[in-house]
Amino acid sequence: MPARVQTGNTLLGYWALQLLGWGFYFYAQASGEVIFAGVSWSKASTLWGVVCLAGMGLTHLLRWTIKFRDWLALPPAAFVIRILAVTLLIATATYLLTSGISQAMHGTPVAPITSAFYQRLTVAGQLRNQYIIILVVHAAWVAIYLAFALQRRRYHAEIRQAQLGEALQAAELRLLKSQLNPHYLFNALNGLRSLIADDPGRAREAVTQLARTLRYTLASGEEDVVSLERELEMVDDYLALESLRLADRLRVERDIAPEARAVRIPTMLLQTMVENAIKHGLAQLKEGGTLRIAAHVVDKELVLQVFNPRPADTAASASGGVGLRNSSERLRLLFGSGASLRLDLSQPGQATAEIRLPL
Amino acid sequence: MKALVVDDEPLARRELRRLLGAFPSVQIVGEAANIDEARTRIEELSPDIVFLDIQMPGGTGFDLLTQLDRVPRIVFTTAYDQYAVKAFDVNALDYLLKPIEPERLATALRKIEATPSVTTADAPLDQLFIRDGPRCWFVPLPEVSVFTAEGNYVRLRWGKELPLLGRSLAALEEKLDPRRFFRANRSQIVNLDFIRQVELGEGGWLHVQMRDGPEIEVSRRQARLFRARTTLG
Repeated sequence: MPARVQTGNTLLGYWALQLLGWGFYFYAQASGEVIFAGVSWSKASTLWGVVCLAGMGLTHLLRWTIKFRDWLALPPAAFVIRILAVTLLIATATYLLTSGISQAMHGTPVAPITSAFYQRLTVAGQLRNQYIIILVVHAAWVAIYLAFALQRRRYHAEIRQAQLGEALQAAELRLLKSQLNPHYLFNALNGLRSLIADDPGRAREAVTQLARTLRYTLASGEEDVVSLERELEMVDDYLALESLRLADRLRVERDIAPEARAVRIPTMLLQTMVENAIKHGLAQLKEGGTLRIAAHVVDKELVLQVFNPRPADTAASASGGVGLRNSSERLRLLFGSGASLRLDLSQPGQATAEIRLPL
Repeated sequence: MKALVVDDEPLARRELRRLLGAFPSVQIVGEAANIDEARTRIEELSPDIVFLDIQMPGGTGFDLLTQLDRVPRIVFTTAYDQYAVKAFDVNALDYLLKPIEPERLATALRKIEATPSVTTADAPLDQLFIRDGPRCWFVPLPEVSVFTAEGNYVRLRWGKELPLLGRSLAALEEKLDPRRFFRANRSQIVNLDFIRQVELGEGGWLHVQMRDGPEIEVSRRQARLFRARTTLG
């Protein structure tokens, strides 16, 4: 569990630096006060001991706030304003505490070490310097802490970025392979080889259609959405090639409302639906059947439907397929919860895939 | 050689016909577009060789093989299912990738001509195609030592493998060569070539020790028949 060990190490480092820093400040102030102001060690150590413990507590509270309110994730301006304000706030608190204890122990808000160093200044000037020194100490604490925290955040972000990049590449490769659909591609090429001898004119047309579908498939990685019109052109090419293979087993009906054509849909969405309808439906039937594609705009929604016959005995799970699950996921990512994909297998021998997209 | 072309795509059948036209030794006797048609054609025409697509409506090429008693030489033709063909464990089958390369077809045909099939229509069964879960085998029956009934199925003892056959023991017995296989008791058929030793048991039963390990009891009813067979044969 490397992550936990690292958190442990980080926490240990934090407390070491915290104790070292405040311990050094305590020792410097208390011993300075004994040497330069002639105050007894017990009095000096009481004053600075309380001040440093309070400083440590306040800065620890600051760290807790930065961490658990996730300040490092804030936009720069909001982050800087918060940090400056809080630094000022806790420095003021420590300053008031210092002055208060001095007043109680020595009868003046100026700590003995401050008056020893700035003997020629007025009380107001001494207090100002006392405040500035405490402010500088707190600012230094904040600067050191942020240097560590920001660097660590950047380092983890880079690692995460690298891991994300690798996962994304693997996913893209899988997607491309599934979209290219080798089974379909090699069958199409085989049909084409036959057609070259039988009907060269049709063969040339088929090569163009195959090239267009491949180009569209490859481009789909870059374009998330496309007009239904454009997707339908691709589906027509695809169906033309499939009807070469399936011959009279594939019959197609289209019912596309004119106002639906301009609607933008996820690329390859209709294509995946049609491919599934053929693969799990029509191609499994000896007699084939009629594939029907319908697109209408109803109540500010695009309703896209693919109807196809299927073998009566196939289980519902077998007809779903990875393709439709991926489509459903993409639909949700691109259009949110307003969009839906439903595969209706309630009627034996019939499948209906329906997609609804908000306009 | 009589050949049958099985593929659901008309263009694919035409293409294969054209390719086979270059081989005068191959005579295409028929075509089929699905496995039901294919089974009928195979029974009618008894081809020597079947070019068989894998993905077809109504059942795969593998499904066809499990339904056949006498399996002709098979060459699978596939666009992308070569992994399914390679999954065969023991007897490798030929396969051709579509689009089919003429040189590869020539090689496959040469291989088949080099090992002529001796199967005739009424000869007893000499091999079985078995699919047990994800694994497939062509099992040469002379290599099977014992058939044991398991409900409506039959477990074969074939070397180290114990594949399950989707038929009943009674149905199988009718198809087996009676000179080689003997019904030892209600649930077992033994291969006589695998018997090492026979001892007399109690109550007229016979105790048979097989070469590959198992001990089989021959029922009293069958024991007399067994003695007659083994001493005469």
